[in-house]
Amino acid sequence: MSQLPRRDPRQEWIARNRLHPRHEEVLAALGQGATSEWPGPNGLVRKNPHRVGFIGPNGIKRIDRSGTQQGAGGGKASAPVAEHKPLTEIAEPAFLVAVVPDMAGGRLSGHDKDLLGLARRLADADPAAQGAVLAVVFGSHKETNLGEAGVDRLLHLDSPEIAGYAPEARLGALITVEQAWTPRHWLLPDSKLGGGELGRRLAARLGERPATGIWQVEADAESATGWQCTARGAAGSLDIRRPLPRIALALAECAEPVSETRHAAAELVLPQPLPSTLSRIQDLGQVSVDPASVALSEAEFILAAGNGVRDWDAYHRAASVLGATEGASRVAVDEGYMPRDRQVGATGTWVTARVYIAVGISGAIQHLQGIQPCEKVIAINMDPSCDMIKRADLAVIGDSTQILEALVTLVSQAREEKRDAA
Amino acid sequence: MLDILLPILIFSALALAAIGAVRRIRLWRQGRPSPVPVLRGLAAVPRRYLVDLHHVVARDKVMSNTHVATAGGFVAAMGLAIVVHGLGLAEGVLGWLLLAASATMFAGSLFVAQRRRNPPARLSKGPWMRLPKSLMAFSLGIFVVTLPAVGVLPADAGGWLVALVLAAVVAWGLAELVFGMTWGGPMKHAFAGALHLAFHRRPERFSDKRGGEGRSTGLKALDLEDDQAPLGVETPADFTWNQLLGFDACVQCGRCEAVCPAFAAGQPLNPKKLIQDMVVGMAGGSDAHYAGSPYPSPERGDKPVGEHHGTPHGPIVAREGTALVDAETLWSCTTCRACVEECPMMIEHVDAIVDMRRHLTLEEGATPGKGAEVIDNLIATDNPGGFDPGGRLNWAADLDLPLMADVERAEVLLWLGDGVFDMRNQRTLRALIKVLRAADVDFAVLGNEERDSGDVARRLGDEATFQSLARRNIATLSRYRFESIVTCDPHSFHVLKNEYGALYPQGQDADYPVWHHSTFINQLIESGRLPLAPGQAQRVTYHDPCYLGRYNGEYEAPRAVLRALGVELVEMQRSGYRSRCCGGGGGAPITDVPGKQRIPDMRMGDVRETQAEQVVVGCPQCTAMLEGVVPPAGNEATAVKDIAEMVAAALDNTPPATPASHDAAASQATEEVLS
Amino acid sequence: MQPESAMTPALEVTVLVSIGRHPLTGRVRRADQDARGVELARSLADAEVRLLHAGECNESSEAALRGYLGMGFSELALIEQPEGADVLPALSEALDATSPHLVITGERAERGEGSGLLPYLLAERLGWPLVSGLAAVESVEDGMATLLQALPRGQRRRLKIRLPAIVTVDDAAPTPRQSAYGPARRGTLETSAGEVCNDDEWATWQVQPARPRPKRLKIVKAASARDRFKAAAAKAEGTGGQVLTDVTPTQGAEAILTLLRDEEVLR
Ligand SMILES: Cc1cc2nc3c(=O)[nH]c(=O)nc-3n(C[C@H](O)[C@H](O)[C@H](O)COP(=O)(O)OP(=O)(O)OC[C@H]3O[C@@H](n4cnc5c(N)ncnc54)[C@H](O)[C@@H]3O)c2cc1C
Ligand code: SF4
Ligand code: SF4
Repeated sequence: MSQLPRRDPRQEWIARNRLHPRHEEVLAALGQGATSEWPGPNGLVRKNPHRVGFIGPNGIKRIDRSGTQQGAGGGKASAPVAEHKPLTEIAEPAFLVAVVPDMAGGRLSGHDKDLLGLARRLADADPAAQGAVLAVVFGSHKETNLGEAGVDRLLHLDSPEIAGYAPEARLGALITVEQAWTPRHWLLPDSKLGGGELGRRLAARLGERPATGIWQVEADAESATGWQCTARGAAGSLDIRRPLPRIALALAECAEPVSETRHAAAELVLPQPLPSTLSRIQDLGQVSVDPASVALSEAEFILAAGNGVRDWDAYHRAASVLGATEGASRVAVDEGYMPRDRQVGATGTWVTARVYIAVGISGAIQHLQGIQPCEKVIAINMDPSCDMIKRADLAVIGDSTQILEALVTLVSQAREEKRDAA
Repeated sequence: MLDILLPILIFSALALAAIGAVRRIRLWRQGRPSPVPVLRGLAAVPRRYLVDLHHVVARDKVMSNTHVATAGGFVAAMGLAIVVHGLGLAEGVLGWLLLAASATMFAGSLFVAQRRRNPPARLSKGPWMRLPKSLMAFSLGIFVVTLPAVGVLPADAGGWLVALVLAAVVAWGLAELVFGMTWGGPMKHAFAGALHLAFHRRPERFSDKRGGEGRSTGLKALDLEDDQAPLGVETPADFTWNQLLGFDACVQCGRCEAVCPAFAAGQPLNPKKLIQDMVVGMAGGSDAHYAGSPYPSPERGDKPVGEHHGTPHGPIVAREGTALVDAETLWSCTTCRACVEECPMMIEHVDAIVDMRRHLTLEEGATPGKGAEVIDNLIATDNPGGFDPGGRLNWAADLDLPLMADVERAEVLLWLGDGVFDMRNQRTLRALIKVLRAADVDFAVLGNEERDSGDVARRLGDEATFQSLARRNIATLSRYRFESIVTCDPHSFHVLKNEYGALYPQGQDADYPVWHHSTFINQLIESGRLPLAPGQAQRVTYHDPCYLGRYNGEYEAPRAVLRALGVELVEMQRSGYRSRCCGGGGGAPITDVPGKQRIPDMRMGDVRETQAEQVVVGCPQCTAMLEGVVPPAGNEATAVKDIAEMVAAALDNTPPATPASHDAAASQATEEVLS
Repeated sequence: MQPESAMTPALEVTVLVSIGRHPLTGRVRRADQDARGVELARSLADAEVRLLHAGECNESSEAALRGYLGMGFSELALIEQPEGADVLPALSEALDATSPHLVITGERAERGEGSGLLPYLLAERLGWPLVSGLAAVESVEDGMATLLQALPRGQRRRLKIRLPAIVTVDDAAPTPRQSAYGPARRGTLETSAGEVCNDDEWATWQVQPARPRPKRLKIVKAASARDRFKAAAAKAEGTGGQVLTDVTPTQGAEAILTLLRDEEVLR
């Protein structure tokens, strides 16, 4: 495993200075350069054979001898340059592609943007008959970049009856849109709540058979809509290729989000008021669930404690400041510091958290089994050789109490600053 | 006057005993039928008692001699008393013999009394505390009343008062020892015990005249043909009648309790109490009169007696609330058989526990902890971890293992077990393959055709899944030709060797020997096929896996291998047939019933006591359990090594084959690139 | 199952169950979400629970359906349908006939199209309200049910719905109890014939085992080939974790915080 070298300001400066004669050599020494060759002190080309190649997808070292590839360590990805994008306006669209983004948290999610990207593909396919993308947005939102995401027309509905969980009222609104403008395509994100649900309701109401779980759309002259799609079926175990229907529920990454162009996002108004529906579903509001006590299997962010936790109060404080769900190794449970239902691992709960922080947990196989599906694992441990470090995406070697305290301080500070700024 | 009283006493005691016997037998016969050879069984009692039972009792020399004196003295004294006093045939040597018998018995009862003065915790108190007095009353009483009969004292010595007192003493003795035998006092064990020996459900357990070590450890198959029959044991009456009889034979000696790892770990199980609870259930009532150690309870210290009660036809485990036994008691057992091994009455605790688990799993779907998940995995993927059954050989991609499907015949079929999915066990398997290759053994593996042996499903009570796995494995095995099966997993070993036989289709047989790898390696060493460089100056101890040792009697081969390696072997205090379980058997890590401490922690404590550098094991489950132990603060972790790894390390000719593992090579490369 | 109370009429619940498929081996089993629905139904006080399946009746589907019986039911109603039929007419006919108060289904089937559309179509057809993603039913009173809907991050929303209604259960609904072998094989499948409606459209689609989706490449709007290559190489490097030794606690905490922010788990 690589270790962070002791900092040497001079070396770092050379590493930053691409014109310095020792630049490549220092980069190689620091282990961050993309370089496996550099001119040695007496003019000979030096090679570091270990630095050649990269690790292929199945863990085998690969060397590409075509000359295109240089080193293994990737440099920093260049920061995207803010460009001035041209504004595209579509005054007389031949048809509409309606998109109902989820707008979780009041902003376009990645999933929403992918969907708008797909909508653009559908709208722009035929330069002779240019379509426009209509976004139907429910509720108040903070999104300012709808145009950059590819929206030509925006219908923003923000009346009290569609607030909260109001699928019936929202469906009524979509039906009004359908009657007013009859979009050629309806695209919704196939997400759990939101688009996935609303799209199915819409399809059931309109009597159209939708495609769900779409992950690929291709032009196809033979299909009625001019498009083919590939959709996941049978709990993700099948691919179904079929003509793209009018109502499409698509997965994230179904298309590339819009990045080159800017659109008008001109506000539309419904020609008629929303129908008043008698709702048979009443939203009594969100139930507050303490993040620390969320069921482990549902938690998205877990701070797990093991035998290496010394100060339990500090640990609980950290969990509450971070808003993380508490988990534990079996030893922490056996010692009575944590309740049994918090145990992660073979004999505890198998967790699927996106981020899992293991504090003072050595990473016994029975524990690692339980965190297999976790996306990002962070280890805080004294022992740089333990198995948890091998599993971790980021490992900080040091005392758990001090690091947790530092983390709590940083997060609290950041919150203060934000509050002051606001 | 005594010559009038004594026959009355003796014959009424015998009559009462006979009535009691009928009632007792009725209690047993509530159980399910189980055919036995009555006469042959009865005829076998003396041998079973004197050889097999004594083999167990003799492990405690003092107690063994005490029992011989007391029991032998009593049987002789009672027989003679019937003749001498009951029938009045005191003439000649008979009276003197009776005197000698009762004197021997008295001597024995003194030892019993001694034992009861400061009884160890494992012994039950209550009525058992009066037993030495009753024994003395009987032996002394008979001794004294016999004195006039042989003419040492005059017939009317002491007058009627003394005679009355003597009669009362003898009556007390007779009550305890004769009709107490069948009416449920401590002496019940003699009556029930003798019949239990005669009608034992596992007659194969007993040795025969040719010697031979009787061993019968495979679980009995459950008949799944009748789809309306309730499965497993729900009520006491669901046991077979001879199982009930067996429970009734318990002497509450607590030897089982003393060796039970779950009890020692503070889990809510005490095998002695469990057997007593079955007796309570068989007769109906509550456990309030139980006078031994109760079930431990991690929260309350002990579970108080008197809270549980049962009836012969009522449930043993309540769906809600309490009945006779709590489910967690049954799920604490590791099926280590330490109790069965120690029980002087040859009671089969594990059979009973699994029978009750079968009901809980098959009828109520109440396997606790991760049990249900493991069973679902076994059903859907043929392995308990839910791994892709098509990836059983992924770990061995670089080893080029010969597949049975390709070669069709081989000297040895290497049964890999579910350890193929476990990175730790893969190291053991690699070591074993290195050893086999060094010895030039012609072996092949089943690869993806192998399935879990069914061991864990069966111990969790899921007989249906066990039989389904077993039948499919049997079908696979019968497609290939091989001379023997070798495996490094004692659980697969036991199941393949002892439990598959009953499931072979009619007309077919398991016609191959099954070897544990330690046995097989020892054979290789002894036949000179394995060139070993001795002289590893290491201090190691060896942990006997339950399923290798107690289940299959293999204590010697692993030790022989270690000797051949030249290491210094120090034995733990509990080793061989008394080895303490690692806690990994019987699905115990899956049901994971909480206790005060963990079984493997105690076992690692045993290991540390020997100050060995390494503990050698021969089971993937033991390896996992012992490696999972976090050493107490200030202690280095003791290395855990499979015996195959020890041998592989000692191979003198480093074979050019077996390059470093695929994973290791890859991660090495990663390190080089990243560092 | 539950003791019948004379005072309140029992809540009639029908759970729609389907044939599941193990994701690794493809063996049939009870479907996970449907089993959760059954578990949810069994946890309701005073409920009379009925299991309903429309589909083929053969050996393998029977094995899967018996998985539900093993959860403590003596019978399951099976409306026989040929393979690939559209089961909607048959189911809505059956529900119309029995008119339960509450219908519970999973979110989507583990076999076939698995579009998750069925509960919506049923609700539309029967004219009943529908709530999706249920975690629990809190209470049922006066023809109204109070429900907990699962939101991301383990959060919950409380809803009130007028009965009769259809609800779909989420993975957050209670873990289904173990299916016991004995009751499973003793229970009976009450088969009946139902309206058959073939799904002609499905037959025209190309269906094949799912291909792995290509991982989206980081799109590098880089001017130079070198930059583009660097981005690709960074991808290839992949898994190696970063280990920070000899850092102060604050430096370590900073690194952790950066990752938490990147992953957007801090609120
Ligand atoms: C059958 C079986 C099932 C099991 N099931 C589970 C399970 O479900 N879940 C589970 O977790 N375990 C399980 N285990 C136990 C497992 O094997 C390990 O024993 C356990 O996970 C170890 O817990 P730990 O990492 O907290 O403790 P340790 O192994 O003691 O690790 C403590 C770690 O903390 C570090 N540390 C110490 N002090 C500090 C400090 N001041 N600051 C930072 N770091 C510090 C140490 O370097 C060490 O890495 C099981 C074991 C068995 C045999
Ligand atoms: S079961 Fe056996 S070992 Fe245990 S107390 Fe009874 S007789 Fe003794
Ligand atoms: S088999 Fe082992 S764990 Fe089970 S009761 Fe007997 S001694 Fe205890």
